[in-house]
Amino acid sequence: MLLCDEYLTPATLDEAFDAMARTAGRHRIVAGATDTLPWAREGRAGDVHVPVLIDVAKIPELRERSVDERRVRIGAATPIQRFLDDPALARALPCMPRCAVWFADDQIRESATIGGNIVNASPAADGTPGLIAHEAHVELAKRQGGGITRRRVKLDQFVTGPGRTALEPGELLVAIECDALPGYGGSFEKVGHRRSLVISLVCLAALVKLDAAGRAFEDVRLAIAGIGPVPKRLADVEAFLRSHPVSAERLEQAADMPVELVASRTRQGYRREVVRGFMLRGLINAVQRAGADPAVLPRALEAAYA
Amino acid sequence: MPDLTIAASVNGRRVSKSAKPHQRLLDFLRDNLNLTGSKEGCGAGECGSCSVFVDGVLIKSCLVPVAKAQGADIETVEGLARSGELSVLQKAFHKTGASQCGYCIPGMVMAATAAIRANPFVGNEEIKERLGGNICRCTGYQKIFEAVELARDVLNGRLAATALAEDEQEDGRFIGANVRRLDAPSKVSGALKYAGDMVMLGMLHMAVLRSPHAHARIVSIDASEAEAMPGVEGVITCADVPGEDGFGVYVHDQPIMARGKVRYVGEAVAAVAAQDEVTARRACASIKVHYEPLLAVFDPEAAMRPGAPVLHDYAPDNLTKHIPIRVGDVAQGFADSDLIVEESYSTQQVEHAYLEPEAGLAYVDHDGVVTIVSPSQNITHHRHMLSRIIARPINKVRFIMSPVGGGFGGKEDMIYQGMLALMAMKTRAPVRLVFTREESIIATAKRHPSRTTLKMGLSRGGRIRAVEMKMICDGGAYGLSTEGVVRKAAILAAGPYAVPNVKIDTYGVYTNNTPSGAFRSFGALQAQFATESHLDICAEQLGLDPFEIRRINAMRDGATSHTKQRLKSVSYLRALDVAEQASRWEKGAPTARGDVRGDLGGDGTRAPCALGARFDDGTTPKSQSEVA
Repeated sequence: MLLCDEYLTPATLDEAFDAMARTAGRHRIVAGATDTLPWAREGRAGDVHVPVLIDVAKIPELRERSVDERRVRIGAATPIQRFLDDPALARALPCMPRCAVWFADDQIRESATIGGNIVNASPAADGTPGLIAHEAHVELAKRQGGGITRRRVKLDQFVTGPGRTALEPGELLVAIECDALPGYGGSFEKVGHRRSLVISLVCLAALVKLDAAGRAFEDVRLAIAGIGPVPKRLADVEAFLRSHPVSAERLEQAADMPVELVASRTRQGYRREVVRGFMLRGLINAVQRAGADPAVLPRALEAAYA
Repeated sequence: MPDLTIAASVNGRRVSKSAKPHQRLLDFLRDNLNLTGSKEGCGAGECGSCSVFVDGVLIKSCLVPVAKAQGADIETVEGLARSGELSVLQKAFHKTGASQCGYCIPGMVMAATAAIRANPFVGNEEIKERLGGNICRCTGYQKIFEAVELARDVLNGRLAATALAEDEQEDGRFIGANVRRLDAPSKVSGALKYAGDMVMLGMLHMAVLRSPHAHARIVSIDASEAEAMPGVEGVITCADVPGEDGFGVYVHDQPIMARGKVRYVGEAVAAVAAQDEVTARRACASIKVHYEPLLAVFDPEAAMRPGAPVLHDYAPDNLTKHIPIRVGDVAQGFADSDLIVEESYSTQQVEHAYLEPEAGLAYVDHDGVVTIVSPSQNITHHRHMLSRIIARPINKVRFIMSPVGGGFGGKEDMIYQGMLALMAMKTRAPVRLVFTREESIIATAKRHPSRTTLKMGLSRGGRIRAVEMKMICDGGAYGLSTEGVVRKAAILAAGPYAVPNVKIDTYGVYTNNTPSGAFRSFGALQAQFATESHLDICAEQLGLDPFEIRRINAMRDGATSHTKQRLKSVSYLRALDVAEQASRWEKGAPTARGDVRGDLGGDGTRAPCALGARFDDGTTPKSQSEVA
């Protein structure tokens, strides 16, 4: 059971920093609260008393989002479901709708926020690899002197370990900025025990842009989570595929490359098998959605993995 | 610190009510507004029993701090049938028989309502996706999906409203007929009160302190801090039992609360009743128990060996029950066999996972009758046991069975009703206890894990000559239903087969694991898993069709079972025919596997589950405006 003496809902960023200053050392920030409430239960943290909860989910700046042809800016309190049902976001971030549909369930996605998912820094966080593949930066705000100062950190450097981030005391994650990649084919692969409400054992986000003929990779973005303490961008695999024709052989070789990265604490052998399969499935799905020439990949390979 | 004042619209009415800052929306609805249609099945967002609309968006109210509902427009299951008439979807749930225990149903109805509101032509796959956050333990979901499809088509005009009407029924014919459940309207509307929904004036809330040790001597219990806490009305331990302590379905080996020692992690040690749940939990946490850990045993075979730690003085060999069965002469049967196959099988511990965690309400009525309201599956036996435990005549003990939000055998044990009775007697006030999901999992009985060795001798033609089976069931720390389970396992071990020579030994064994108890099939599953798997292996080795080997050995009308029960009629052969036909079984020995088989897939088999019903062309999701 989560107990608190005070539950504050600041209406602006300034009010939030006021509340944080007034209750320094006694508060916990919540947004969707969908992880905080289950955390305070038997078998995890048990009954927890937090003197003050500060709910940042209603701060307008944290709920704004803007999309143009090059960049996307998403407020940290944006519910995960928007990646699925906001057409502008879905077009600009082609792997994120696929990620969203596997994330918890429809109801939790309406409460859970992308900022909360990032700050929790679970090694199995579903939202992070897709954003890393989109070259995401997080914007962190802090009160300094009379005003608010902001800094930007690359998302794959922001998450530093299981449950650990580069967030400093007094700082709030306010927004995520990333590349808009309309026209890319996107995929998100996840394995767990069931369809809804499942924590990833492994998840992989893939983005592919093909040449006009749909036969060669112009750009590839890959990121993976669940295989080690932090999500990882697969830059070497991206470079291996970029500018090369799409072929079964090249995909098979690429799929083998990250297998050795598996450094999770449990089920390593299983995860290695999954990683190889996901690389193939994720890339094939992304290639198809990027408008590939149907002749470019053997039917049998597509049937086996996609 | 200041309470919140929550002003919101709930089912179309303005409410303004005080709330504690830590309360969740679910608590506010249930405790402050007495809207108990929304249930708590897990408290962690896993089950969906608490789904409600907030500003038109379906959410899980156990994951929403109540402050988030400030100024919101909330709609609960009670709001769907505000006029008194069930909604189309509720009527469809009634029509298809989609509600069984009913505990998940309010949440299911809400999720289904959301699916149809989002997309009036929602397809079957999208229905499954949108209901993915709601768990049902009874139905297997099929009837629920049928109900959603029916309601969708009535609402979008594809079907006339008459499709919701009750089917015409032939006079007097019930088998094979669609008989409506009398209790369905109360379940689909959220009106039905389960024990955890019930309140009484002046009711206290109980919390239970449980053992962190698998096996330990209790040296002392110091509850003085709890007793002194404002708001605490009573603390009980085994010392408060006035009569002869001990309950169980067969052997009464389990005390109401641990007596002298604890035998499994999660065993009740003490309980507190307080004016509110938070105080009860805090007081419980303040109780100091001094334990002296004892050597524990977790493996039933190890527990049977001499020198193993002993759980109960009355059973120095840790045996709860041994059931031996002897028919004919197995040595001769094996000597006469052309093929002897010996294998071992094991099955695991399983939690019942009913959606309704255990709950009960107890009070001493105006005539001094100790009354316990709970979803007990065995109230008469509980009444007799409790009468002895609290040393009151039977007419001063009353059990009322509240609606059971799923049982599956898991609510046959009097695991908490005794504590409620003692507390009501001690405080002279109504007392309610509601288990958390975690508590339900840690403290209550599970399916018996089993290890079986099975030796079968057969003729070349497939006739079984002899069966020798030894099964060891891990009964856990207390007897509960173990004796009956191992007896049933022995009775059914050789299956519905005419076997001339049988030697069966089943054992129930005490260990320091969570107690095992009744669970659907009551021992038959463990034995049948071994016997039926074994027959497939034998069929393969003899080059026989698996249906054929079963037909050869099937008991016929008039057969005598190996426990000497004469069976007037045996429907097994007919069941085999139906199963063979329905599965489109490809005749022959089960030696071919994989793609070469023609009987895999096809009508009636399910494709693996996938997600993405909302992606129209495989690349972009449909927008809300497109689907709306």
